[in-house]
Amino acid sequence: MPDIAGDGPEEQPLFSERPDWTDVTPVPQYEGYNPIAPIFYTPQYKDATDYFRGIVKTNEKSERVLELTEAIIRLNPAHYSAWQYRYHTLLAIKAPLDAELKLMDSLAVQFLKTYQVWHHRRLILTAIYSPPPSNASGLNDPTATTSSSAKSKPSPESQAAARTELAFITRVLMVDAKNYHTWSYRQWLLAFFDDVHLWEGELGFVERLLEEDVRNNSAWHHRFFVVFGRGQLQGEEDRVAVLKRELSYTKDQIALAPNNASAWNYLRGILERTGTSFSNLRSFVEPYTKTHEDRLGDEEILDLENPAPSAEAELPCVAALEFLADIYEKDAVSKSVEIWKRLANELDTMRKKYWEYRIKEALKDVPVQS
Amino acid sequence: MSGSELPKLARVAHAGHCNRCLSALPSSHIQIDASRLAIGFYCFGTLDLLGSIYEKTKEIEREGWREWLWHQQTNRPYGTDPEEYSEYDTPHLIMTYTAILSLAILRDDFEQLDRNGIVRFLQACQREDGSFTSFPNGGESDLRQVYCAFAISSMLDDWSGVDVDRAVSFIQQCSSHEGGYGQQPTGEALGGTTYCALASLYLAPSVSDLHAPNPHVTTDERRRTIRWLLQNQASSGGFSGRTNKDADACYCFWCGASLHILGVGDLVDRTAFLSYLASCQFKFGGIGKAPEDRPDPYHTYLSLAALALFPLEDADPSWKLPRLNALWNTTEDTADWIRQHVPLYTVKAQSPVRK
Repeated sequence: MPDIAGDGPEEQPLFSERPDWTDVTPVPQYEGYNPIAPIFYTPQYKDATDYFRGIVKTNEKSERVLELTEAIIRLNPAHYSAWQYRYHTLLAIKAPLDAELKLMDSLAVQFLKTYQVWHHRRLILTAIYSPPPSNASGLNDPTATTSSSAKSKPSPESQAAARTELAFITRVLMVDAKNYHTWSYRQWLLAFFDDVHLWEGELGFVERLLEEDVRNNSAWHHRFFVVFGRGQLQGEEDRVAVLKRELSYTKDQIALAPNNASAWNYLRGILERTGTSFSNLRSFVEPYTKTHEDRLGDEEILDLENPAPSAEAELPCVAALEFLADIYEKDAVSKSVEIWKRLANELDTMRKKYWEYRIKEALKDVPVQS
Repeated sequence: MSGSELPKLARVAHAGHCNRCLSALPSSHIQIDASRLAIGFYCFGTLDLLGSIYEKTKEIEREGWREWLWHQQTNRPYGTDPEEYSEYDTPHLIMTYTAILSLAILRDDFEQLDRNGIVRFLQACQREDGSFTSFPNGGESDLRQVYCAFAISSMLDDWSGVDVDRAVSFIQQCSSHEGGYGQQPTGEALGGTTYCALASLYLAPSVSDLHAPNPHVTTDERRRTIRWLLQNQASSGGFSGRTNKDADACYCFWCGASLHILGVGDLVDRTAFLSYLASCQFKFGGIGKAPEDRPDPYHTYLSLAALALFPLEDADPSWKLPRLNALWNTTEDTADWIRQHVPLYTVKAQSPVRK
C-alpha cells in the first residue's frame, strides 16, 4: 500500500495507475456543452472523484474507500458526498473511530472554516459515545442531543474523552479565537455530554480568553450559554447568586474597557433574561455617562459593587448613555429624549436616524403637551 | 462625503469579473467544487442586477447553462424519490434554491421542474426539531437550510413539504441574547443567519405583508434585533457580521436586508454604506469583502444586492440598480418571472412578461 503520510499529492500514483484499483470502473463527471463555472480540475482531483463515482455506483464499503475519500477531502474539504460516504463506510466496516478522530485532529486546523470537518467530528463523537440505531441509513438526526445523548451514563471513559475533546477545541481556539464552527462545536459537545465536571471548567476558560481579548464576542456569547443554556444546573442552582456573580464580573470588565459592545450586550442580556430592571444598575452606569471633567465634581467613593471608569477610559461612553436613556424611558422620557438627541447629533452620529427613531417611538405614547 | 462625491460603480468591470468566473475557474478553486451552483447564482444575479444578462451573454450560452442546470435536477436515473438517491446524486437544499433562482434569471419556462419531487425532498430533509439538513438523512442543518426550504416553498407556492410550526419554533430558538439569530439554537448572533431567520419568518404562509407586525416576532425581540443590527454598522459605513468584528461587504446585505425586512431600512446611514461598498470595488473588476481585498462573485453579488435595497438620491447614475425582492434575494423582475412560472398554478400575470 502506498504511504499516504509520506509523499506529497503530486508524487502519488493516480488511482487509475494502481493495480489494486483496476476492478473499479471510474465514472467521469457530466459537464454538458456549457457548464457553469467549470473548475480546471487537477489530474489528481479528477482521478480521485472519477473513482469515487465508480465505487459509489457499486456501493462498495471497504478499507480502500477510506483511502480514496481521504484523498478527496484533502484536496477539497467541502466535498460533502465524500464525507458522508466516508462516515457510512466507517460504520459499515466497523473501523476504529478513535483513529478517525486522530486523523480529524490533523485536518482540523488546516480546514478550520469548513462546515463538513466539524459535522463529521460530531458524527464520529456521537457514534463512539452513543451508537446509532441498527438502521444507520434511516437515521434522520444522528447528533440530536435529545434522542441520543450520552448523559444518561457518563462513564469514566466518556468523561475522559470529553475532556480530551475540550482540550482539542481549546488548542484550535488558540489559532483562531473567534472561529464560529469551533465555538458551535464546543457548545454542542458540552450539551451532548452534559457532565457537571465539564461545565464547571467553562467559566474559567472564558475568563482566560477574555483576559487576552476582552472584546472577544464569541467568548462572551459562550459565557451566556454556559450560565443560562446549560443542562445540568448542579452547583448553579442558586440563580440569585449566579446573577450577582455575573453582574459583578461584567461590571469589572466594563470598568476595564467601557467602550466594549460585547460586555454591554451581555449585561443587557442577563438583565433581560432574568427579568431584572435596568434601573437596578443606575448607580453603576451613571459615572460612565459623564465626561472626566464632569466627574471631577463627584465624590470619590470606592464602591466595589460599582467599579468606576479609570482615568484612561474614553468618556462619555455611548453604551452607558444608551443604557441610561433606556432606564429613563419608563418614567422620565424627556430625559431619554435629551440623551438620544445628544447621541444623534454629537456622540453617535452614524446611528443618527436610529436615535431619532427612538425619540419618535417613545413620544408616540406620550400625550402631546399643549 | 455626499453621494455626488462618490466614485462611480464600475458596472462593466464587475460584469466582466462574473462573466470570467462563469466561463472558468482555476484549479485553486477546487474547494468550491460542491458550490458551483451557488457561484453560478452569484454571477447570474450580478448580471441581472446590472441589467446586462442579454448584453453580455449569448442565447446559446444561456441555453447551455439552462441545460446544465436541468441536468443537476435529480430525476434521472434515480428519480427525486428519497429512497432512490445514490450517494453522489442526492440533491442539495441550498443548491436547489440557487438553481431555481438561476433558471429564473435565465428566463427558463420551468416545464422540466419536478415540483412534487422537490416537495418530497423538502419533507425528507426536515428534522424532528424543525430544522432542515442539506440533503436527506445527512449533512449539517442550521438556519441557512431553513431559509432555503422556506424560499423554495414560497416560490413553488406549495408548503406541503414543510412543517411550518416546527420550523418557526426552531428559528425562534436561534434568537440570541444580543438580539441577532445564531446559526443554530446555541449559536452566537450572526448577520447571515439573522437574515435567514427574518426572511423565513416573513415568508411563512401565515404572514401576508411586510408592513404588519409579524406574529412570529415579539415587539421586544424586534426591538433587540433592530438594535443589534444597527450596532453592527461600523464607522467605515460597512456592516460587520458579529459584535466587535470587522466590517465585510457581504454583511451589508445580510444586515441591511434584515433591517429592510423589519421595515426600518431608513435607519441605515446610506451615504456611509455606499461609500464603504464603493471602496470595496477591486480595480480590475468585482467587489471584495473589504477595501483592497480580492473580489469574488459572492461579495460582488451581495454588495450589489445591498446597494439595490439602499439607493442614494444624489449618487451618480452608475449606482442606479433595479428594485430587489429582499425575501427571495433577486430582482423584482425575476421575482415576477418566478411567480408566473414556478408554481404549478399561477395567477394570470399582472404586467407584460419580458421574453
